[in-house]
Amino acid sequence: MHITDETLTDAQVVHVSGRLDSTTSPLLEQYLLSVVESHPRVIVDFTRLDYISSAGLRVLLMAAKKSRARSGAFALCALKPALREVFEISGFLSIIAVHPDAESARQAFSS
Amino acid sequence: MATPPVELRNKRLLLDYQLPSQLGEIAKLAEAVEGVLPNRPDLAFTANLCLEELITNTINYGLSGAPDRVIRVRISLSDDWLEILLKDDAPPFDPFAEAPTPDLDLDIDERPIGGLGVHMVKSMMDAAHAYYDGSGNLIVLLKTLRS
Repeated sequence: MHITDETLTDAQVVHVSGRLDSTTSPLLEQYLLSVVESHPRVIVDFTRLDYISSAGLRVLLMAAKKSRARSGAFALCALKPALREVFEISGFLSIIAVHPDAESARQAFSS
Repeated sequence: MATPPVELRNKRLLLDYQLPSQLGEIAKLAEAVEGVLPNRPDLAFTANLCLEELITNTINYGLSGAPDRVIRVRISLSDDWLEILLKDDAPPFDPFAEAPTPDLDLDIDERPIGGLGVHMVKSMMDAAHAYYDGSGNLIVLLKTLRS
């Protein structure tokens, strides 16, 4: 797994690539919770994410809850079909906003 | 009326893998699974997700984190089914009977962190059963090949 983040004018985008599993999810936990603490609007871009398990979902829910507690905005974008199925099965599509790309996530924050 | 039994016609073994009981070993298993299902990345993804969920359960709870045990994974294909067998030497444990069903309708503030792994296995597989055979737990998973 590889994580980078990018600053847009009104949102912070975290790019995650590779495998988000029980071994790598603690790294994302640390990274993402710290981004959510310092930025009110956070988008996690999964364009290059190939795999996610419940360990990864756990981190996303923690980050979404933390963002909400701070009255922030939190969204995901660019889920591959196999990943989307995991989100659907877990009921995450109704609790975390998912957009086709970072730009539409950013626009949804502003509307 | 009873449904006809599942027939595993022309079953061939694709992978017989001995996994050391460490979470860091799961990514290597995932590569091996992808290697034996080159034409079905969708099935490899589903198999790897279910394997990770069950193996992390076994390592963290069944084996209490003991790093020196072996979990055996066998994957077979028959005409209509993908079959996954997992065998450990942990004390008797049936994840499918013991894991509580998560409430997926709760809103974000009420959703608990965690508790989704076994639910994902049950949702993605057509059959998921655990047996204790005297020396360990045998988990049998079946997934239809129809996409």
